Amino acid sequence: MRGKATKYLSAALVAAMTGAMVLTGCSGAGGSDGKTEIEILQYKPEAATYFDQVEEQFNATHDDIHLTIDSPNDASTILRTRFIREDYPDIIGIGGDINYSYYVDAQILADVSDYEGMTDIKDAYIDIAEALEIVPEDGTFIVPYVANAAGILYNRDMFEEHGWEIPTNWGELMDLCEEIQAEGILPFYFGFRDTWTCLAPWNAIAVDLAPADLCKQVNRGEANFTEGYAEAAEKYLELISYGPEDPIAYGYNDACTAFARGESAMYPIGSYAVPQILSVNPEMNIDSFVMPASDSTDGNTLNSGIDLGFAVTAACENKEAAYEVLDFLLDDENIQAYIDDQNAVPCKEGDFELAPMLDGMAEYIESGNMTDYQDHYYPSEMAVDAQLQTYVINKDADAFLKKFDSDWLRYNRDIIRTVEEYEAENGSDQ
Amino acid sequence: MKNERKRTFLLITIPILALFVCFNTIPLIRGVIYSFTNFKGFGTYDWVGLRNYIDLFQDPRVGGSYLFTFKLAICATIVTNVISLILALGLNSKIRAKGFFRAAYFLPNVLGALVVGYVFQYLFTYILPALGEMMGSGALSQSMLSNEKTAWIAIMIVCCWQNIAMNTIIYISGLQTVPEDVYEAGSLDGATGWKRFRHLTFPLIIPFFTINMVLCVKNFLMVFDQIMAMTKGGPAQSTESISYLIYNNGMSGGQFGFQSANAVIFFIVIVAISAAQMTISSRKEEQL
Amino acid sequence: MNNKKVCDKVKTNWPVMVLLILGLSTIIFPLYMAIVIAFKQPSEMTNSISGILSLPAKWSLDNFAQAMEVTDFWRSLGNSILITVVTVVLSIVLHSMMGYAIGRNRAHSKFYKFVYLFVVSGMFVPFAILMMPLAKQTAELGLANWAGVIILYVVFYMPMNVLLYSGYLVNIPIALEEAARVDGASTWRTYWKVIFPIMKPMHATVAIITALAVWNDVMTPLVIMSGTGQNTLPLAQLNFQTQFGTNYNLAFASYLLALIPILIFYVICQKNIINGVVNGAVK
Repeated sequence: MRGKATKYLSAALVAAMTGAMVLTGCSGAGGSDGKTEIEILQYKPEAATYFDQVEEQFNATHDDIHLTIDSPNDASTILRTRFIREDYPDIIGIGGDINYSYYVDAQILADVSDYEGMTDIKDAYIDIAEALEIVPEDGTFIVPYVANAAGILYNRDMFEEHGWEIPTNWGELMDLCEEIQAEGILPFYFGFRDTWTCLAPWNAIAVDLAPADLCKQVNRGEANFTEGYAEAAEKYLELISYGPEDPIAYGYNDACTAFARGESAMYPIGSYAVPQILSVNPEMNIDSFVMPASDSTDGNTLNSGIDLGFAVTAACENKEAAYEVLDFLLDDENIQAYIDDQNAVPCKEGDFELAPMLDGMAEYIESGNMTDYQDHYYPSEMAVDAQLQTYVINKDADAFLKKFDSDWLRYNRDIIRTVEEYEAENGSDQ
Repeated sequence: MKNERKRTFLLITIPILALFVCFNTIPLIRGVIYSFTNFKGFGTYDWVGLRNYIDLFQDPRVGGSYLFTFKLAICATIVTNVISLILALGLNSKIRAKGFFRAAYFLPNVLGALVVGYVFQYLFTYILPALGEMMGSGALSQSMLSNEKTAWIAIMIVCCWQNIAMNTIIYISGLQTVPEDVYEAGSLDGATGWKRFRHLTFPLIIPFFTINMVLCVKNFLMVFDQIMAMTKGGPAQSTESISYLIYNNGMSGGQFGFQSANAVIFFIVIVAISAAQMTISSRKEEQL
Repeated sequence: MNNKKVCDKVKTNWPVMVLLILGLSTIIFPLYMAIVIAFKQPSEMTNSISGILSLPAKWSLDNFAQAMEVTDFWRSLGNSILITVVTVVLSIVLHSMMGYAIGRNRAHSKFYKFVYLFVVSGMFVPFAILMMPLAKQTAELGLANWAGVIILYVVFYMPMNVLLYSGYLVNIPIALEEAARVDGASTWRTYWKVIFPIMKPMHATVAIITALAVWNDVMTPLVIMSGTGQNTLPLAQLNFQTQFGTNYNLAFASYLLALIPILIFYVICQKNIINGVVNGAVK
């Protein structure tokens, strides 16, 4: 009995170990001797195919640099564990949100203002990147690559069939909703069970109605959200009232499916939802327009932020090589390939062909009338998305705004202190 | 002879214990150290003394997560243990296709969180409300997941559904230790059904009952996967479990230091609960 | 053999059978949904109940083939099997010994009682607090690879398995060991000759529970193995899920594929739980 059990165990162990040796033996990739190694870690797994192609093309055309691009899932966790191991990639591909602000503050990123390609980037996006710095820093820390845009997606065929017009201000939008409802069609769909989707209409409304730098004003103690967001909060609820009866019941996926199946005429979400919608209904003719939250037609602005930008880490040993990689990525052809693949908006100046579902926004994109997402300043642990969900359930604007103000001070305590110290040293930068 | 036995036990215990200390206790201590800082998870940090702990006791969100988690854990532990004990007895009785049934009832444990999340979300969002309408029940016709008062019940159902399999396996292996002659002796005395279970079977599987209680407390108090798959803490933050907060705000958010403090307190709380549990049931074991 | 005869003599318990069959519906329904979705195309997905429960337009294995390609199935499967098998074997050997040492001594020795509580309490450490320090520590020790993942698993599941083993030992009479000792066997020999084989049902239980936990785990390999280019199945399956879109059809096909090996393993182990002949040995 004893002999048998131990024999089995040790046999299994030996077999597994040998298997492991073989496996690791196989995977030990040959080092590329003499070449400079550049590693990019970018956070959009949905663009992995594109980046695999870029990696291949780059390596085929460059003898002196070997490029590796990693597009892992859950990149934020991986980035954090790599940072704590002090195992920094040379370039990181990240979005322009509060994590970027943290990385700049933590001095993980290198100044790339001496990068020549920077001059081709649209000023609007460089401004957006600089605004994300918690306190103004010398230099630039990210090369904006592509942006996304959020507003309202609509079913183009359905609009044409009924002769509905694209609304340009809040009154028109509300009239349109009434009209759609009168025809027995649901104007909007929402998937608020997935809390993050609560932010999509919120951002689009808030950029029109609140100052772009409201969060920074609050950090400096010059404003509060109860006033700054009052109108946005009110209009948010008005918008929700034209959605399904119980918006919390449905998830993001349910909402995409419902919109794809023609159950609603519009869906206030970002352009990133288009592939999911098209997977359900590949024939669907989707377009989008800017959220017209302002009462006046020219008071609106497109909700657009840096979806992907490249930052060289301070630990990168060969900045020259990193810049060469950036040059390759920013090549017009490659950018066009990316925006075709991902329905994105390029951050570089130039003549690019945009995806058809951005038609309704093209005017704003061309004129540069864009404002960054408000939520790029929200710390994720404050869970503004969950607070919005609560607001949708309770419909209590005062409670929502009051909590927003008090929570903001609590969750941003360290940031506010940094800002105060900076102000004390440099005086107000206004 | 006695010394040889003692030495062998020590020779077994010390190296394994060393491994445990190296990869569990030491990282834990390092984690505890972070709980006294405002560490975000990267970059530089400052010492903040007991600030995180003081904040912890004033944070209504943390308080809410404790209430939710304990409510869920207590109910789910009871439901799971009752059902899995019945199931284990059933699967251990004289039935046909035993192997098939045991494999089938094991399935919920193997299905990944994505599948379970999708299927049950669908069930709660579309199928149950439709059934509710058919039966004319107003309460059922709303999605359980969109109501703050019922969402936790939906989570509990899924937790039980998944965990029953594991508890059943442990009960079944416990039932294997009950010698057949105990029953033979019992049936001579006329013990059948409930009486036989209460007086013959149950006392013998008390160690397994203890194990299952402890595992339930662990699994349900540390509930995370089901929350991520079903509600992400909603609606209105009513299903944020403690582990969800610790992971979501500590790892994904920038509150690593604060949530480390939360984890430390949480750890102490669960250890205290399970220590109490084990003391009580080991006293019971001795009585029998 | 004795057991078999008893089985044959007693009639099948039909009321229990009926209840068990009724109970199965709670399992068959989700499984049915998973299978149907795994065969459908994304364009067949709807929100209506009749739509989701209907059979796919055609039964094709395309989704499965594509899922295998996306996850680099055979390699990921190899990694998953390697990690699971080594972890399970090490767990059975190390944790049963630890459980034995603790189980036999904790009643009368303060030291072992302390070790028992110390180890078991390790079960309740939230993983999130260990994650960062472990990522750092494994990298410092050069263990940021599958070997490191296995070591971590052996440590993570030690509390639960020690709890299981030492609980099981309560029901194994110490008289069995004393008999062997009278024959002059050392404690070490007695353990392997007498105790280890007797704990077979518990080995099978531990094997299932550990294997299942390891098989489905995402976080540990994600944190420890990131950047090594090696994937386990659950890690590869993350490919189907992004915040902005999940391909449920491919994902479900892949999950069903990943379910098969562990189910086979379970069926094998299950036999051992039942065949554990403690009854005979006690006599």
